[in-house]
Amino acid sequence: MQTVLNILEVEPIRLLISFGAVLFLVLNLAAVLTMAERKVSGYIHLRYGPNRVGPRGLLQPAADVFKLFSKENVSPGRSDLWVFLGAPIAMFIPAALVWLVVPFAPGAVVADLNVAVLFFVAITSIGALGVVMAGYGSRSAFSLLGALRGAAQMISYEVPLILSLLGVVMLTGSLSLADIVEAQGDTIWTWYFLFQFPMFITFYISGLAEVKRVPFDLPEGESEIVGGFMVEYSGMTWALIQAAEFASMAVMSAITVTLFVGGWQPPLPFLDLGHFNWVWFGIKTALIMFTFQWIRWSVPRLRMDQLMDLGWKILVPITLIWLFVTAGLLLVFPSLGA
Amino acid sequence: MLSEERRAHHEGALTEPASSRLVSPDIRDEFGLETIDMNMGPQHPAMHGLLRLILELDGETVVRCDPVMGYLHRCHEKIAESRMYPAVIPLTDRLDYFANMHNEHGYVLAVEDLLDVEIPPRAEYIRVLMCELMRLASHIPSIGFLMLELGAFTPILYAFRERERIQAIFEAVTGARMMFHYIRIGGVKADLPPDIPQKIWDYIESLEDNFQRDFVDLIAGNEIFISRTRNVGKMTQEQAVEMGVTGPALRCTGVDFDIRRDYPYSIYPELEFDVVTDSAGDVEASYRVRIAECLQSIRLIKQCLEQMPEGEVMGDTGRRIRPAEGEGFGRVESPRGEYAVHVVSDGSDTPYRVHYRDPSFCNMQLLQEIIPGHYLPDIMPIMGLVDPVSGGWDK
Amino acid sequence: MALSLPEGDLQTRLQGYLDGLNNRHGLEESEITDNVVRVVALPGDVPAVLATARETLSIVHLSFITVVDRQGSFELTYELMDFRGGRVRIKTTIEGDEPVIGTATRSYPTANWHEREAYDMFGVAFAGHPDLRRTYMWQDHFDHHPLLKSFEISTKRTFEGLR
Repeated sequence: MQTVLNILEVEPIRLLISFGAVLFLVLNLAAVLTMAERKVSGYIHLRYGPNRVGPRGLLQPAADVFKLFSKENVSPGRSDLWVFLGAPIAMFIPAALVWLVVPFAPGAVVADLNVAVLFFVAITSIGALGVVMAGYGSRSAFSLLGALRGAAQMISYEVPLILSLLGVVMLTGSLSLADIVEAQGDTIWTWYFLFQFPMFITFYISGLAEVKRVPFDLPEGESEIVGGFMVEYSGMTWALIQAAEFASMAVMSAITVTLFVGGWQPPLPFLDLGHFNWVWFGIKTALIMFTFQWIRWSVPRLRMDQLMDLGWKILVPITLIWLFVTAGLLLVFPSLGA
Repeated sequence: MLSEERRAHHEGALTEPASSRLVSPDIRDEFGLETIDMNMGPQHPAMHGLLRLILELDGETVVRCDPVMGYLHRCHEKIAESRMYPAVIPLTDRLDYFANMHNEHGYVLAVEDLLDVEIPPRAEYIRVLMCELMRLASHIPSIGFLMLELGAFTPILYAFRERERIQAIFEAVTGARMMFHYIRIGGVKADLPPDIPQKIWDYIESLEDNFQRDFVDLIAGNEIFISRTRNVGKMTQEQAVEMGVTGPALRCTGVDFDIRRDYPYSIYPELEFDVVTDSAGDVEASYRVRIAECLQSIRLIKQCLEQMPEGEVMGDTGRRIRPAEGEGFGRVESPRGEYAVHVVSDGSDTPYRVHYRDPSFCNMQLLQEIIPGHYLPDIMPIMGLVDPVSGGWDK
Repeated sequence: MALSLPEGDLQTRLQGYLDGLNNRHGLEESEITDNVVRVVALPGDVPAVLATARETLSIVHLSFITVVDRQGSFELTYELMDFRGGRVRIKTTIEGDEPVIGTATRSYPTANWHEREAYDMFGVAFAGHPDLRRTYMWQDHFDHHPLLKSFEISTKRTFEGLR
């Protein structure tokens, strides 16, 4: 027993085992999120979601996975097969990698990098590559449109995404996500979403755009281009793209929670659960994911030029202004920062 | 604060016509830009039926738009020549399948124009009641379709919930949810069941309560809806009239024309209703016109239920419908516009020629004129303005 | 710019349309029955009559163009409406099996698709039409015009067999 636990302390083995556990969690989360999405959408539409398979429909993801495994992976005749098949992988890997730096509980991080924020930003940018690979590899007009829209959208919204988390970094004085969570304190009014409210909103909206969810799902625009960059995918390749989308939605919620809503911190000191604070982390992440889905079923989607206007002409100025405000306040009241 | 600025920016940015956004072909050649030829093809989850749009795209701007129809052509006019007059009525049901009652009504008016039959007043009231219920059952889903194409998936489910309730009423009255075969030559097929007027009344009151909440509050003030539909598909009154557009698409430009009032038929002269127009001429205006028309239909239904006399529901047409040689014309205001039927008779049991003037067919000419200059995602809201139904344009 | 719709008493307007058309063109028949101005013209005169209706009389709306195959001639009906209750019906008969007539699109652009449909279904050629191709039928390998009486469909034969 002791030797087993000692092996877990040895560095490469600890990293591999914990990353394996996180990956397992992410894949299951993608499946559970499909179910959650369908149930939430069902109740918003005044109908039940899937409720046949298993008690109250809870085994639906299993049924979906079986179905998708049994489907044929069709690819268009003229497509560039390596790029076409590599695209879902290229989309999934960034979504999975960012989980390496997310702090679940005090001391429970797979890789406690001291440049975790930089790591998150860098890896998220690679997601745009996967979209372009999917659209280009499919060699069809609709896919190309979807891919170009996706690339433009994801690259444009990285700017407000990054700018909005600079305020948090300034307040904490460190790029490490574990430090950011610890600096937020264990009371709900010291978390950063109150002081950095414009940044929180901007980060949230940019996160929606990065994950390509309504109102920013034009790359996938179901009404015009029927699936956009992923129109030619079917079977397991499509399932991997969907899993990547849900995983990146989950990771964006997790990072939002870590940066702004206190990570694993409890809302009030007496609710502290010590090493079980991942329960608080889970609750908050689930809340943010629920709002992502709530918005999806409530509003129409933006057109491309309106999307770009929103990103460049509205969100970037807001973040720049609030950055100056934060910097100014930190100069005048140094005790605000950690 | 920000939403007002953004709204003003959008309104200002699109005061010139959309075609001014097109780059001229010479500039395109000089820079070596190419256009993509793309099909927004017959198989498409969000097209209003089977329509093939051949698009020439310059990036995301549509340069040329060419609708190709015929994927649902079922030869109605030819089949009608070999069927007896009453047997053509089920065929007309299937023309514009969102406005079945109006199709039947138009054809039956044309045949009654050839015959000399007295239609009892109760039958007329029932016809108008059914037609106005049908108008509700058509406008509400068309608002849902508009929102579906913009990307909001919820309003269409609310809309179809209302349509299902109206179809339940139709099922109680006519026996069918969709293809009714109810309005017959000389009257209607059968009288309303005794409990139906009360059920219709209850339903209309509940619809009035829900209408504002479900179809106006969630949609009309939504920032994204406004920026997607204001100044999109903007047309002038001259353009609309030149292209032969009728119905809500024409009234949303400001032209005050409604067949129920200007070329009255049935008992519309005895009912009170307003003809709603809006002067903006874009997709948002057509949405507002349809909402207001729903409220007018509710008003008409209430008047019909209050004023309905007792009596027969079928006039005396004789055993065989064999009109004398001649031509008959019938014209009704269907939810999409002017629906006219021209029946030519040669004295035998079957019509010699039946010609349907379907509003979807005529309103579709808008697409060729209006769409160039808009972006690709704007095509679907513009189709929501025209609101064609593929059974209509393809006959 | 708002479109001006006609006002005034219906009968005076109809009489005005009738006189306007009669004075400018040699019409074979013209009368008002049942609040409809019925006019019969020669096929060659029809584009001019339509132009008069649109420009001089301001009848703004062409409702439909019906073609009837009379097995030896084709009878066209143009129905015009001003939006306030007035209707003008222009009939013309084209003799023969290869009907040709001038296009109405110069006066009424909405006639574009109506004429395409007439060409598709009956083979009526409209001289001067900007884009005369088929609407419903296949463009390439279908040489028939379905609504002609000579294009028989099986249901008619079956129906007559039953009698």
